[in-house]
Amino acid sequence: MKKKNSIMGMAFFGPALVLLTIFLFLPMVLTLVFSFTDYFALNPELTHFVGLENYLNIFKDELFVQSFLNTVKFVIIIVPCQCIGALVLALAINKAAHCKKYFKVAFFVPVVMSLAVVSTLWMQIYSPEGILNTLLANFGIDAQPFIHNASQALPSIAVMSVWQGVGYQMIIFLGGLQNINPALYEAAEMDHASSWQQFKDITLPELKPLCVFVFITVTIGAFRMLVQPMVMTGGGPDHSTYTIVYDIYETGTVNWEMGLASTMAIVFTVFVVILTIIQNVLTKDKEGKKHGIKKAKAN
Amino acid sequence: MKKWRLCLGAAVLAAACLTGCQQKDPEPGEVAGYDEGEEYLSIWVHSIEDTEEGQAYRESVESFNEAFDGQYFADIEFVPRNDSGGGYSDKVNASVMAGGLPDVLTVDGPNISAYAANGIIQPLADLTEEEEGAYLPSIIEQGTVNDDLYALGVMESSVGFYYNKDIIEEAGIEIPDADHPWTWSEFLDILEDLKPLMDKKDGYPLDMTFPVGETSIYYYAPFVWSGGGELVSDDGLEVDGYFNSETTAAAMDYFRTIVENGYMSEAPIDHLFESGRAAFKFDGAWEVNTVYTSYPDLNLGVAPYVVSDDWDGGTYTPTGSWAFAASSETEDIGAATELVKWMSGVDSGIRIWEMTKNFPSTYEAFENIDVFQTDENYNALYEQLTNYGHPRPKTPVYPQVSTSFQEVLESVALGGKDAQTELDKQVERIDQKLERYVRE
Repeated sequence: MKKKNSIMGMAFFGPALVLLTIFLFLPMVLTLVFSFTDYFALNPELTHFVGLENYLNIFKDELFVQSFLNTVKFVIIIVPCQCIGALVLALAINKAAHCKKYFKVAFFVPVVMSLAVVSTLWMQIYSPEGILNTLLANFGIDAQPFIHNASQALPSIAVMSVWQGVGYQMIIFLGGLQNINPALYEAAEMDHASSWQQFKDITLPELKPLCVFVFITVTIGAFRMLVQPMVMTGGGPDHSTYTIVYDIYETGTVNWEMGLASTMAIVFTVFVVILTIIQNVLTKDKEGKKHGIKKAKAN
Repeated sequence: MKKWRLCLGAAVLAAACLTGCQQKDPEPGEVAGYDEGEEYLSIWVHSIEDTEEGQAYRESVESFNEAFDGQYFADIEFVPRNDSGGGYSDKVNASVMAGGLPDVLTVDGPNISAYAANGIIQPLADLTEEEEGAYLPSIIEQGTVNDDLYALGVMESSVGFYYNKDIIEEAGIEIPDADHPWTWSEFLDILEDLKPLMDKKDGYPLDMTFPVGETSIYYYAPFVWSGGGELVSDDGLEVDGYFNSETTAAAMDYFRTIVENGYMSEAPIDHLFESGRAAFKFDGAWEVNTVYTSYPDLNLGVAPYVVSDDWDGGTYTPTGSWAFAASSETEDIGAATELVKWMSGVDSGIRIWEMTKNFPSTYEAFENIDVFQTDENYNALYEQLTNYGHPRPKTPVYPQVSTSFQEVLESVALGGKDAQTELDKQVERIDQKLERYVRE
């Protein structure tokens, strides 16, 4: 019986293992190996082992450092805006008396749209004679260059990204809000707790495990920023929206420098992993530790 | 223990299935039309089959098979390519590592040097003088690396310097003939004259942008070439003294002057020229067809490309497109060359024009397409291409040169930074990429 079970188990597990090995684990190992070589896609035969040379070089590369800083800027803008925005929207929809479904769909639609389509749409919105500048003109504000200016491009793309992604986190928060036991609010009302107190002492603590989950997924998502700058600005103006993933892509695919691109990918991964661990440690309290993970996983 | 063996076996099997996609030539009869006694030739194109371009290639291959019935059989595979160049090049890269390159493949003009330097393509079999002379000089020049001919294109491209005839007439400006283009200084005066008129029309004298990607070097490198400058050395392995020469810096400063004086919009405005709010525009040859079909009210003209004050009459206008080359893995270079010649030949060129409106690459094809004789705009572009066409830099690190050119253009013209400093900085970047070739 036991043997039969294990064969059955293997039959289910096997295909996934094979595919994961080929398309995930093997490329990961290869990336690590390539990161110590000067592997050049057009001429793999001439690959040499270069030790830590790539690792030293990328930190000397101004462009890599800039793309790294740009990515951090994106994260700093997107993470708080998207997390707080999603929570506010979820609270509003949860309280809304009418048209709940309509708002849910309306806020969720950008999530299901292709990022390339959304980016193209916002290029029109941000264009010198686009909707946004026309609106600003009505308030007597001069036309803004938005994505065509080195200082405005990054925030402009970040705002668009928040708009695009916020619906997904909103649905997660909404699920969490609807799971909170109404008896808690009833008890609070009997104690004459104000709305703010109810939010602070019931809603937030109950949502905390979800907040951690949302916080981490948004952070990782923001670090992986690629499509929006690729479509809207091509990393410009003056590299102001050039992100790490974009740099990895350009180095590996356009310039064929797979070894260097692999090094960048490894450095990037290590950074994100460290950051995620720090986030996990900081956002976990002793109590949250117990049921926090359970709930986050359940969602 | 046993289950791990089972598991390992399954993994190896799946890996073999998935990675064993390396193609083996089929046997006669396995592919429709491939008969006993014929030599099998595989060919990859960077296009989707269901597009006009894909159909044109399909028809060219079919006509090749008919013409060489009993001798060769060409089997075409369509490998879609996305806008940023992935897809097709990913497949080529993977095949370089794993083997399985076809006999003939398409290569983008500027990449021919890199493919040749890395042994992905090989020189074609010798062409007779007559055969070579059938192609526009720019096509031969594009396909030649270190005196060997590697690739022949079926299509050629160019960039037009378009003007709105109504506006030019209103301003009382006369367009020079093709052999006496406006120099930079003359053109600045024209722009200055046009500025008040265009301000009234809520527009700009010039519709020009410096977008990221290949466009910038393709459209604006002529400003360097017309001043006698080059972006790389003849062998393509040196950029110091070329990319950062005074001529290049002067061209960059010229663009800065245009921006500073408000002759163009710093942020791109959609359809500025097409809506009659700009007098001039640089754009690909496809713009003529766009205007004819979508903006029939626009009175379009093609002026000769603006030249540096130091122009000596040499070639300087944009050229280049995808071309066919024989891969290093082909065993019969003679047969592969036949296929390359056919795919880039007169009939294929006429077909590509009829189906996609891309310019053909041979004199005879141009002569057989009426519009190049009857339409003044198409004729002007054809004359520009044949008399003044200049290939883009031929270097194995072309992608970096192209990126660097755009970055300098953007930071100098739009960002107001010092041209020489920016160029020097980029020379360092390009040199890093060149190291691999200089070292070996």
